[in-house]
Amino acid sequence: MLIRKSERQARRGTLAGALPMQGDGGLDRRAFLRRSGLAAGTLASLGPLSLGSVRKAKAGLPPPAGAQVTIRKSICTHCAVGCTVTAEVANGVWIGQEPSWDSPINRGSHCAKGASVRELVSGERRLKYPMKMANGQWTRISWDQAVNEIGDKMMAIRQQSGPDSVYLLGSAKMTNEGSYLFRKFGAFWGTNNTDHQARICHSTTVTGVANTWSYGAMTNSFNDIRNSKTIIIMGGNPAEAHPVSLQHVLEGQELNRANLIVIDPRLTRTAAHATEYVRLRPGTDIPVLYGMMWHIIQNGWEDKEFIQQRVYGYDDLRKEVEKWTPDEVERVSGVPGEQLKRVAQMFATQKPATLVWCMGQTQHTVGTANVRASCIALLLTGNVGAPGTGANIFRGHDNVQGATDVGLDIVTLPFYYGLTEAAWKHWSRVWEVDYSYLQSRFDSKQIMETAGIPLTRWFDAVLLPKDQVAQKDNLRAMFIQGHASNSITRIPESLKALAKLDLLVIADPHPTTWASLSVEAGRKDGTYLLPVCTQFESSGSRVASNRSMQWGEQIVKPIFESKDDYQVLYLMAKKLGFADLLFKNIKVEGDRPVPEDILREMNRGSWSTGYCGQSPERIKAHMANQKDFDLVTMRATTGPLKGDYYGLPWPCWGSPDVKHPGTPLLYNTNLAVMDGGGCFRARFGVERNGVNLLAEGSYPKDSEIKDGYPEFTYGVLKKLGWDADLTPDELAVIQKIGGDKPETVSWSIDLSGGIQRVALKHGCVPYGNAKARMNAFGLPDPIPVHREPIYSPRIELIAKYPTLPDAKQFRLPNVGFSVQKAAVEKGIAKSFPLIFSSGRLVEYEGGGEETRSNKWLAELQQDMFVEINPADASERGIRDGAWVWVTGAENGSKAKVKALVTERVGKGVVWMPFHFGGWFAGKDLRPNYPAGTDPVVLGESANTITTYGYDPATGMQEPKVTLCQVQAA
Amino acid sequence: MARMKFLCDADRCIECNACVTACKNENEVPWGINRRRVVTLNDGKPGERSVSMACMHCTDAPCAAVCPVNCFYTTADGVVLHSKDLCIGCGYCFYACPFGAPQYPRLGNFGSRGKMDKCTYCTGGPEADNSPAEYEKYGANRLAQGKLPLCAEMCSTKSLLAGDGEIIAQIYKDRVAKRGYGSGAWGWQTAYRETIAT
Amino acid sequence: MAALGIRIRLAVCATLLFVSVATLPPASAQQPSSVNPTADAVKEQQLLQQLNRIQGLGSIPDVKSYVIEQPQGREWRQFHEVWLHWIGAVAVLGMLAVLLIFYLTRGMLRIESGRSGINIVRFNAFERFVHWMTATCFIILALSGLNITFGKEILLPLIGPSAFSSWSLAAKYAHNFVSFPFTLGVILIFVMWIAGNIPNKVDVEWLKQGGGIVGNKHPAAYRFNAGQKMIYWIVVIGGAAVAITGYLLMFPFYGTTIAGMQLAQVVHGVVAVLFVAAMLAHIYIGTIGMEGAFEAMGAGTVDLNWAKEHHRLWLEEQNLGTGPSELQRRPSATPAE
Repeated sequence: MLIRKSERQARRGTLAGALPMQGDGGLDRRAFLRRSGLAAGTLASLGPLSLGSVRKAKAGLPPPAGAQVTIRKSICTHCAVGCTVTAEVANGVWIGQEPSWDSPINRGSHCAKGASVRELVSGERRLKYPMKMANGQWTRISWDQAVNEIGDKMMAIRQQSGPDSVYLLGSAKMTNEGSYLFRKFGAFWGTNNTDHQARICHSTTVTGVANTWSYGAMTNSFNDIRNSKTIIIMGGNPAEAHPVSLQHVLEGQELNRANLIVIDPRLTRTAAHATEYVRLRPGTDIPVLYGMMWHIIQNGWEDKEFIQQRVYGYDDLRKEVEKWTPDEVERVSGVPGEQLKRVAQMFATQKPATLVWCMGQTQHTVGTANVRASCIALLLTGNVGAPGTGANIFRGHDNVQGATDVGLDIVTLPFYYGLTEAAWKHWSRVWEVDYSYLQSRFDSKQIMETAGIPLTRWFDAVLLPKDQVAQKDNLRAMFIQGHASNSITRIPESLKALAKLDLLVIADPHPTTWASLSVEAGRKDGTYLLPVCTQFESSGSRVASNRSMQWGEQIVKPIFESKDDYQVLYLMAKKLGFADLLFKNIKVEGDRPVPEDILREMNRGSWSTGYCGQSPERIKAHMANQKDFDLVTMRATTGPLKGDYYGLPWPCWGSPDVKHPGTPLLYNTNLAVMDGGGCFRARFGVERNGVNLLAEGSYPKDSEIKDGYPEFTYGVLKKLGWDADLTPDELAVIQKIGGDKPETVSWSIDLSGGIQRVALKHGCVPYGNAKARMNAFGLPDPIPVHREPIYSPRIELIAKYPTLPDAKQFRLPNVGFSVQKAAVEKGIAKSFPLIFSSGRLVEYEGGGEETRSNKWLAELQQDMFVEINPADASERGIRDGAWVWVTGAENGSKAKVKALVTERVGKGVVWMPFHFGGWFAGKDLRPNYPAGTDPVVLGESANTITTYGYDPATGMQEPKVTLCQVQAA
Repeated sequence: MARMKFLCDADRCIECNACVTACKNENEVPWGINRRRVVTLNDGKPGERSVSMACMHCTDAPCAAVCPVNCFYTTADGVVLHSKDLCIGCGYCFYACPFGAPQYPRLGNFGSRGKMDKCTYCTGGPEADNSPAEYEKYGANRLAQGKLPLCAEMCSTKSLLAGDGEIIAQIYKDRVAKRGYGSGAWGWQTAYRETIAT
Repeated sequence: MAALGIRIRLAVCATLLFVSVATLPPASAQQPSSVNPTADAVKEQQLLQQLNRIQGLGSIPDVKSYVIEQPQGREWRQFHEVWLHWIGAVAVLGMLAVLLIFYLTRGMLRIESGRSGINIVRFNAFERFVHWMTATCFIILALSGLNITFGKEILLPLIGPSAFSSWSLAAKYAHNFVSFPFTLGVILIFVMWIAGNIPNKVDVEWLKQGGGIVGNKHPAAYRFNAGQKMIYWIVVIGGAAVAITGYLLMFPFYGTTIAGMQLAQVVHGVVAVLFVAAMLAHIYIGTIGMEGAFEAMGAGTVDLNWAKEHHRLWLEEQNLGTGPSELQRRPSATPAE
């Protein structure tokens, strides 16, 4: 018989109605309003809420009888917004996900990926145990056997070709501790060929922005966008890539009635919410930005005081901007002058204004110049260093900011110290190993101080003649821990390289497209799969896009035979013989190094970037007291952490006991340094050609030096007479580091932290107070210059705006100019008339194997597709939903995908998501995966079609503009 | 008694599908059953809006009216639920539903629709609250724990609102007043025979 | 039907949309200098007024899920819960009442000249098999079908929800599976008896006399009189209608939309109850309504006198075309009841 619940509830309802709605498990009014997602203020007058069916209960899914349900918090692994994930665990099983109301970043919210992360540890499609390819068959092996065989092969390659022939490809999916350890592992192995996803994500941002004003990171925060009056999103689709960030953007826009301007070749899900949408031709960001600046300068809307006090190179900029008249901008980019004038006026006069960007600007051969132009636009209008302003660079992976900071990179040691002898000596002091030992690990001192090979070109380093690769030998082994292959351009080339490698190691929760493509390439031996768990099965810290550091707890133990990143690195180091030195100051429990110890070691060496104040204890306290932080300022208004900013956004100066609160907004002179204030960094000297590079009359609040100043050294302290503030212990450390020249010991290598402490005491930023650079001397284009993409449909523009000449960069030749010239000569634009661009979907992330293996996500996007404008589709007789062939300009590349006929893209442009993999040139590679590990959804990779093109400053690839043709299949 | 409703503020919805996977996660909904989905109108054109839609838990629910075996019932909170023990999988509720909410697992051969499945407002079914039997058939019962449906609780932009109809209507009104535009309380006229005057 | 009106409106709107798309300037023309997606946002009220249906684009393959609002479900509900109940009740109960009155006033129609004792073959074994197969299926379909519409009002209060649900589930399966032999039967009936069921002049006269109800003499008829022809065509057309609409409902979304299925259900429901009413009359006349009728489908033979009275022209044909050897003599003259 049907039990009528309504009756039972009605009875209970009367009982509930008689009781105050405060009981545990009950839904009180405050909780209700929070759960409804609103500001409580306007609703305070509403009557009490009574819920008929409320009663006391625990946990989401019913836990097994008698099981204790515990709550554990970690961080979502799918983008850099940094959403807290709240897990309910019973008997070691993750039984439910609850909204994380207390997190000031996500306030309970998730996107499709975040709301489905519990599936990741159920493991249906995970790699379950180590495997190797033996005579063309995937074969199960033990961890011992795997580590021994891999180690022996690495040592053999080292003997023959040197350590640089082993490429160590790490991951932005690792924790700070994991990626730091990975970089340190590379240093002890003896190579700078250590890279991760930042290369193909924001490497151009890091380089371009850091070269403008010091740090290559998001200046403000998602939450701070709530203060903006004008928001420009140019080259980003956060509605799909960073959905939870839109909570702050849209709420802010609504509350301030702010202008939300989206500049993008596609009318994206983000653009749908804009108040102004500007469609530009892909690859013309610089003309559009200069077009805006032309109107700003023409009308005198620039911030003259800001430029005078805090900007270098304005006159050089003006000369370049003058060339970009509205007519020329429209001719090149397609954007009407009238529209651009309106956008420019809003940006310059309706302040504070912020500029948001993503891969749309960075993933170009002119990526560095693009982001430089964006920074310049902000500097021109004085929109940096205050609430509601700034370069809000939305980063991609959950820890891509952190992994970059900790130096999992080819150009630097941890925390941007570079690769100079001084940098190596600093780290040898932190690691307490002899500098000479580290040097002995490398082929030479010269190669030790030379930037490595960017991951975008690993296959070129395998395939090019030996004499064109500026190291002892070609690459012969790839050790990949957490990086996709299908997110890298030119897949047909990587297929050739896969066939040639001596050793391929894939350490990942999934076999990834490395595995399926390696089988396709014909590899029969020398391929190893190591099951690495997700970060939900490990612990450690991660840095969100806004530089807040958050600690993730282990939710469940690693499933099957998988191990976490720390364990894998420990086992490998042990096999390779340097575990004792690598873990000298890090406790190892069993085979697992303790991440807290790794973070403490990082604290001791990271003075340059201000990770020094972020002890594990402080970070964990922040996670425990999330509710005390303000939504807009992100500052704790109450509780034990009162005054701290959430996650101690770096730079968090001094040692942890200095209790610096973190820096929520970079370069903000309105606050005292100990309150999170700052200024532009003195990184490029004090003067150039007689022009002062230090700030003039601008300084952080309460600074004792009321003008610009250089970075602090012991020498500077002495000149100021502040050296007396140093304690004897601090002075002893400085003198020990400095040897016979203690004056040269700077704020960034002083392991005592004394110099920083004293600078802070006097209200000064340790790194100095300088101007930001519109003219970034030292970069290939010190003032950004528009350069047509390598494969441009507008061949008439290439003569005027050619790409940079061929050159040798990062140990390899960059022959972009020759490729561009050949494309024009061969008439590529005629046979491949459509502009090809790629980007993200909300359901998937990166190479997508993890998310395409998640059944809840996979159901939502089951087919790889290409977006094509109705006009282009009808010209080709293509129906919506029909199969089409997309053919590319290199290697006779082709991909079979479904057509999505849509006006999202303009005529002449097609777009593909890049998360798919597991098909190649129309062939389904499902049988290439070890049984049971194939993702639910497979499809062609967009990067099968992408082509040559590398940013000269960073080696960034070009997945956003190339040429293709589409025809019905 | 609170009258529970859903309201999707389409001017906030970005089609992120969090509501969809949150629902799958919380209720272990199998592949092919879509208790909630997001649909984009005017896709790719200026004026595009996305709307998250599921069972709206109508006043005087049409599904309940047309059910040949009377397997539907409305809770004191206004949530429209049904008994899978009684459902015969005839499909009539799908013809009557203005929102396409009822879902049927395809069992066996032609036409043999399985027991209907739909959004329960995270309120389970007729079985004892939060019992394994209830979970297996209907999914979670959050309302009984003093929580709202997970789809709305996890909405990335707080677009999807769930809760007492009067309160969420007030929230929507305030939003529209504050920002100056609103594309409407999608489905309210059809489901509840009322609109939100803004 | 309102649904039809909606479909016409849809078609008109679709045409208008097409025209407006077709006349757009080429996309390569200069871009507009102002695009404000928020100001142009679609509004629910506006969309509903235009089409009474809101449809967009989703990413899952289930295309029907792209429709987010279709208030015409309310109209279908009105039909199903109110009109169909009335139509069904009036048709079925009305027919039963008419038959009862008829029986009470006229009783069983006798063979006026009594039984001759000579039987002639009217339906061969195959014909009878087809008839009874179809008839059995029909009864199962009718009862299970009526249960879907009326069961919750009549049966549910009597046996309770649990038993009623079990019974209804079984009835649903029966309804679905039995539909196949029923459809086969209808097709065979159509093919088998089409020759004798083409309306002709004789039918006009037969109908004028109301099949003998008006006046006292039997109107002439070939193998099938006009009344039987009506039943035949009701079975063939009605059967086809319920079969087609039934299969549309059984295979949801194969070639139909939700509006199509609502329409199909309306046709199915209305035709089915009228069909049931017609078949009640057929059963009446074939059993207690007329002496000598049942045996035609029972044993397959009829009494010569019955044939003379009801199907004179047919009998003449039989006699002309075939020898008396076709006639069978039966020892007993007991009328079939």
